[in-house]
Amino acid sequence: MTRPTAAARRPRPTLATIPRPAPAYAEQAPTAELLHRLGRLPHGDGHWSALRAEIVRRHLSLVRALAWRFRDRGEDLDDLVQVGTLGLLHAIDRFDPGRGAEFTTYATPTIVGELKRHLRDRAGTVRVPRRLQERHAAVSRASVHLYQRLGRSPTVHELAVETGTTDEQVLEALESAQAHTTVPLDTTDPGESHDTADALDGVEYRAALRPLLDRLPPRDKRILVLRFFAHRTQSEIAAELGISQVQVSRLLTRTLTTLRAALAE
Amino acid sequence: MAELATDEDLVVLTVPADGAYLSVLRTATAGLAARLHFTLDEIEDLRIAVDEACAMLLAGAPAGTELTCRFEVTQGTLTIAVSVPNTGQRLPGTETFAWMVLTALAGTVSSSVSDGYATIWLTKQRDGA
Repeated sequence: MTRPTAAARRPRPTLATIPRPAPAYAEQAPTAELLHRLGRLPHGDGHWSALRAEIVRRHLSLVRALAWRFRDRGEDLDDLVQVGTLGLLHAIDRFDPGRGAEFTTYATPTIVGELKRHLRDRAGTVRVPRRLQERHAAVSRASVHLYQRLGRSPTVHELAVETGTTDEQVLEALESAQAHTTVPLDTTDPGESHDTADALDGVEYRAALRPLLDRLPPRDKRILVLRFFAHRTQSEIAAELGISQVQVSRLLTRTLTTLRAALAE
Repeated sequence: MAELATDEDLVVLTVPADGAYLSVLRTATAGLAARLHFTLDEIEDLRIAVDEACAMLLAGAPAGTELTCRFEVTQGTLTIAVSVPNTGQRLPGTETFAWMVLTALAGTVSSSVSDGYATIWLTKQRDGA
């Protein structure tokens, strides 16, 4: 943790990371002195910004140390440092140097408060812990290997054996994946692929459906047609499109929800 | 995972007839299908099928009622019966896209509207079972 007095005397090598170069005089002065000067400058002024950036720079190691304490809460450390830096900025803006307190003594609870509030707010939104993300990545990779090795989609138990986990852990990973899997951007050629066109040929389906299918993004439409008109399995579609089977499942779910809403109109 | 104790197990879940509870049914579906050694493809298909079937039923379920999901677990086969109280709604016909989707996902699908309840049955057989 940085003591302000020590920090003030030691020039830092990380100057390049601050948005605006601090004036030369700021480099030498103690932090308490800088805070005094900051209080007298008009907010938003160029000197004020530079001085504030210098004070932030001097306390980044304090922010990192505090953020580190919360590293096990499933949040990325870099994100925590950002949140902590926000707390630091609040502390700088509210600090009254006239009161004679050490700035770090004042700033520490403000930074910790900001981190805690952030984590509490996060708790309400669903967030996948890193551990689960990693497990899902492992399960996803294993499902591709096993599909190639077995020539069919693997069972949950086979995935557990392959990844050295339990059936329950595999299910848990799949469950989290359903809700949170991100799907790479659709880079499919917008032209209709042959397999899509062939599958739709000769299939009688409600006239209402065709315009809805045509409004879908090309990849979504292709997946839907391959699964329901060409009767391909999710794994086969995944292999063909170069995405994971869970991603296929998620895209199918999304497309069906869209179609259901559109057909109900 | 422990083998099933008997030839036929029955799991019945009752949730409020509200889309917010579908995730509970999806999770149960995946867990039971995994017990039967269904493949990932089959599990994900079933999960979507349950979603579709429930969406069909919820469209006509009166507010404040319950949706009942009954899972029959036998060797190699999972039969899922979803039902809601019915007040005269009609389920999508077998010629509709929704029905076609359901059949592709679950295998065998049937429905009935009787005794004040609308029910959809999904029967999925494990590949090679």
